[in-house]
Amino acid sequence: MPMTNKVESKIIRTVCPAHCGIDACGILAHVRGNRVVKVEPADFPDPRYRRICLRGLSSLEITYHPDRLQHPLKRVGARGEGKFERISWDEALDTIAERFREIGERYGWPAIGWVLGGPGAGTTKFGAYLRLASLTRSTRVSAWGYGDAGLPCGSKVLFGAQFPYALLFGSLFSGQTTPELLVVWGANPGESQPLNLMRPIMDAKGRGARLVVIDPRFTVTASKADAYLGLRPGTDTALALALMQVIFEKGLENRDFLRKCTVGPYLVRDDNGALLRGADMGLEGSRDYVVWDQDAQAPRESRAKGGEAALTGSFTVNGLSCRPSFELLRELAAAYPPARAAEITGLPAGDIVKLAERIGSAGSVTFVTHMGFTRTYHGDISLRALGTLAAVTGNVQATFRGGHLPAVLNWDPFLQPDTPKPAYSRLGILPLYEAVISGKPYPVKALWFSFINFVNQCAHSGKIIRDLLPRLDFIVDTELFMTPTARYADIVLPVCTYLEFSDLIPFPYPYVQLQQKVIDPLYESRSDVDIAAGLARRLGFSEYFAPGEEGFIDLILNSGHISLQGITREKLREGPQALVNIPDTGQEMDIPFSTRSKKIEIYSEALRAYGQALPVYLEPLETPLGPAETRYPLAFIQGHSRFRTHSMFANVPSLLDLNPEPLVEINPQDAGERRISDGDLVTVFNDRGRVTLRARVTGAIGPRVVQITQGWWIDQFREGSVNHLTHDTVNPVQAVVYEPNMHMNDVAVEVERVREELP
Amino acid sequence: MSKRLGLVVDQERCIGCQACTVACRIENGFEQGAIRVETRGSDHSDAPVGRFPDLTMDFLPRLCNHCEQPPCVEACPLEALVRREDGLVVLDPGKCDGCQGCLAACPFEALRFSPRHNRVEKCNLCSHRIDQGLEPFCVICCEGQALHFGDLQEPDSRVAKIVSSGEVFRLHPEWETGASIYYCPPKTKRGLD
Repeated sequence: MPMTNKVESKIIRTVCPAHCGIDACGILAHVRGNRVVKVEPADFPDPRYRRICLRGLSSLEITYHPDRLQHPLKRVGARGEGKFERISWDEALDTIAERFREIGERYGWPAIGWVLGGPGAGTTKFGAYLRLASLTRSTRVSAWGYGDAGLPCGSKVLFGAQFPYALLFGSLFSGQTTPELLVVWGANPGESQPLNLMRPIMDAKGRGARLVVIDPRFTVTASKADAYLGLRPGTDTALALALMQVIFEKGLENRDFLRKCTVGPYLVRDDNGALLRGADMGLEGSRDYVVWDQDAQAPRESRAKGGEAALTGSFTVNGLSCRPSFELLRELAAAYPPARAAEITGLPAGDIVKLAERIGSAGSVTFVTHMGFTRTYHGDISLRALGTLAAVTGNVQATFRGGHLPAVLNWDPFLQPDTPKPAYSRLGILPLYEAVISGKPYPVKALWFSFINFVNQCAHSGKIIRDLLPRLDFIVDTELFMTPTARYADIVLPVCTYLEFSDLIPFPYPYVQLQQKVIDPLYESRSDVDIAAGLARRLGFSEYFAPGEEGFIDLILNSGHISLQGITREKLREGPQALVNIPDTGQEMDIPFSTRSKKIEIYSEALRAYGQALPVYLEPLETPLGPAETRYPLAFIQGHSRFRTHSMFANVPSLLDLNPEPLVEINPQDAGERRISDGDLVTVFNDRGRVTLRARVTGAIGPRVVQITQGWWIDQFREGSVNHLTHDTVNPVQAVVYEPNMHMNDVAVEVERVREELP
Repeated sequence: MSKRLGLVVDQERCIGCQACTVACRIENGFEQGAIRVETRGSDHSDAPVGRFPDLTMDFLPRLCNHCEQPPCVEACPLEALVRREDGLVVLDPGKCDGCQGCLAACPFEALRFSPRHNRVEKCNLCSHRIDQGLEPFCVICCEGQALHFGDLQEPDSRVAKIVSSGEVFRLHPEWETGASIYYCPPKTKRGLD
């Protein structure tokens, strides 16, 4: 019914953190008594930020979901069986403290791991557990590796930055300049991350930018493109190299940019691949890089004054033969003419040539990417290849001209409450598998899960269930629902939804917002800060949790961060506050690169030992490339659906009405060969596992590729789940650079029709 | 001159997300959202038309057209449906007995019968919000910023300006019902040439 009812209601501004980090929407909650009856998008000083999505709109269906957990539970059946008994908070927390002490004393405290997943956009709720992890000297399990480590791996090597977003597409946020060409590559902002970028993309397109989308799936974003390039999964690097080959052949590279901002002119020794240093040319003790001065026809240190540095050619310095690193890149790209890349990627060679010419001749190109192809085994290299393409054409924003710079809040008050540095041990999530299963590098015997549906969302679910969970002595899960993961916990703790506690939200840039508690916690649920405080008290760390939810917010606001000066909780109650002391939109400044050379490292000296100094094309781990007969001839990839944020919202009735069940997308040709019709029940399988669901026969996906959107719960399939198909193979280079990633989009499968029994 | 409130739906900006559908359902307490997003030419929502990789996928949000000559109003024996002075065609749920005569009368199939509520449900363009000076809820919740609301008779309004630009169409103008919902078609794809 329209809200004509005259019962007193109040409106409280808060924040819906229904994203997985890095953004959030301001919302108005309409409250009657202790019940929220409606949410709507809240205003911002800049009206472009007023927004809500279908998840935010239906978020009340989570708060008031009939299946919501209402009180602490302890397991009484077998793990996974789902038999639990109600217990009190005191019993739950006493039990956890006692078990943690036992395990800590027997195996050492690092044997207790905090597996903290995507916290939404929250800060204190995440920080509270980190604080406890640091105080107890236990293990923080980093969640980057569950899909989000490949992109930082590549970005750190090339740019020295964890994220390349500001460097590649920061100008989209300011909207002050319109690129001639927008290339969205391996991302679907129309439905998923980078969130809320679709508006500025369509704004730019409306002002004349040409939009190109490169993706194995024909997504919502692709449907808006002027041109769509549907490449084979895992072949992105080959495409990027072919684009560079055409650009170099036609002389369309931006040589000024290469000289100013990249290691392109630095000489590389032919004998060992190291970058030549001043000392190598006889300047004692000089660690400076060396370039070939074209005017003097002689080598000089990179910082010495002189003529223009050579980018191509072969030279001899002090008896050492060497070439500029750009020359090596050019030679690598030369091996990927469009015809060869066409064979690898499945794209028409003509399209590759035309796109290269467009990129090379456009006044400005904005590249948008996210985690899609970085979830292939060599996805970190693909990110480098994309970034290198941007760099050689001068399309990295090395000079800031207003718009988006990343704002990072000061987490130190949480991470180091009693020590100068965080005192927890750190394990990546894939190394955690090894630690639990084989005890290396040290045994992990207890896990605490928060903000993560581990069994559902992590690679190789069968292995998790079969080999990992049984080796754990103790499992705690803080949850809203009895998820596939919670069923394996020994203690399950009911948490609040976002309407029931306060938190500080540093989004959307350039704003900070207060997620205000709107209603009291429902049932016996508690906020994560409360839960951490309750356990801390039992472990002897009460004093570090005395500030409480709101005090923790102040702890961050008062941390001395330059962008937060003068921003208080009181001001935030009135509405979003813009960060202060960020560069004016009119100001120009060089963006420093945090690589060792302080330049964009299109050549990585550090990775030469792995044969990856350049963004070489290496074949995917599993994705079958040729049409050759193999047991598992189909590539399996996972898209992201707007109906869920990972596995959140998978049980929301309004969204299930619109999107009722998981489907595997299969091309008509592959379906025909397997006598599969649209709507048939099929099984997707490989040696690791199976998933049974209905087929959607569609041209949205190319030949020999199948796709299921991730995030459906295991319960929602007839059998298995997407992650029963994925693997937990560690890429050793990623392990060295940052953290090994899970490669959900580098998986081989076969599909067969299931004979359905008549009802 | 009297008002004629309506919408311009920009297909270029619509990302088919169905936030409008969810918003409508929540705001109005309907069994289903009264604005529904159709994927043109496709049997399924979100499924493109064509052969990989030569595909198109265009979204068409459909709702009550708020016609100047609304056949549904004529068909309603209880005067539960009326066309207001401002052009909105609204259903008073309290007066509807669920006879469904209007469903047969509307060529756009814009009305739905709700078995749960035993009455017809249709888009009133959030007349309860408009009466408070607010925009329809679907408009403020549109993620793609594809929905524009305003008075089509007011020459300075955004909607009137878009309509007078000429690059708009209405669904089935040949039915001559005087629809107040206009559409901007998707832009032509420029390719790589």
